[in-house]
Amino acid sequence: MILTIQQILFIVIALVVLISAVLVVTTRNLFHAALFLVVSFFGVAGFYVLLDAGFFAAVQVMIYIGAISILFIFAVMLTRDVITSARGNSQWIAAAVVAAAIFIIAAILLGPAALIIRGREFGNVQWSDPNGPAATSATVIGDLGRGLVSFNQYAVPFLLGAVLLLVAMVGAIWVARERRSRDMAAERAAAAADDIGSDTDQPVQEELPLPDNSMATEKH
Amino acid sequence: MLNGIPLFWYLIVSAALFCIGLYGVMARKNTIAMLMGVELMLNAVNINLIAFWRYVTPKSTAGLAFAAFIFVVAAAEAAVGLGLIISVYRNTRSVDPEKIDSLKL
Repeated sequence: MILTIQQILFIVIALVVLISAVLVVTTRNLFHAALFLVVSFFGVAGFYVLLDAGFFAAVQVMIYIGAISILFIFAVMLTRDVITSARGNSQWIAAAVVAAAIFIIAAILLGPAALIIRGREFGNVQWSDPNGPAATSATVIGDLGRGLVSFNQYAVPFLLGAVLLLVAMVGAIWVARERRSRDMAAERAAAAADDIGSDTDQPVQEELPLPDNSMATEKH
Repeated sequence: MLNGIPLFWYLIVSAALFCIGLYGVMARKNTIAMLMGVELMLNAVNINLIAFWRYVTPKSTAGLAFAAFIFVVAAAEAAVGLGLIISVYRNTRSVDPEKIDSLKL
């Protein structure tokens, strides 16, 4: 059996994607894991090219490689004390077994080989034409663009996606912002006051600047 | 460019990618690494969506629209997740999911 160019490309890309994905989940150094994540995203973009979805390959490169993996690299650099971590936690063997079992079940259900259990046949689903329909024209992307703003199709999910991105951006800035040390001190004082108050009733409680506390908590 | 690539090749590769991501989520000791596993799983889903679009309904735009929304959700999830991790790291100096237990009774 002679492989076509496309099949060879597919196999190469699949190896790149899967090997770098395995390295992502096993490398000790998180910075290297983030770089392997970039390689894996590139491979997935290659799959999109093979699937005649060039627009999505470009989007994959821009969003996943240009934005998300940069976010990951920033997060890794901002947590440098813990940049290397153990390869796995205490349950990694169980996790590997579960993941492998799910993969084997999926491979049996999706692959061409049928599995026969008690006379019932599992797998070997015939997915339409094995070679797929003929390549479509480039107007599909135009149709997608029109569908995203057409109220008969995806306008509402599109707007919801826009709102989701806005909320996520504001929320991420809000959650990750640098707190001023004065606020942090006030919060700590409030927490200490709560602890003391619940443990024993001591006069220390009265010394705390209560108005400041309420202002500090209002700000958050 | 589908010459001779059967659909199930894509399905098997994306199932493998999904399971690798699942292993990463379950087995890593670092929250950032767990989020990387989630991103791998989302990519596997996107490969499946676009492969089914190309092989089954290449004239409809539904598969592409789903894939586009997964891009949006993945970007939002990464931004919020990494923001949370950095905030937790500032307060506890740790990103180990086993040590982030201040909500435990």
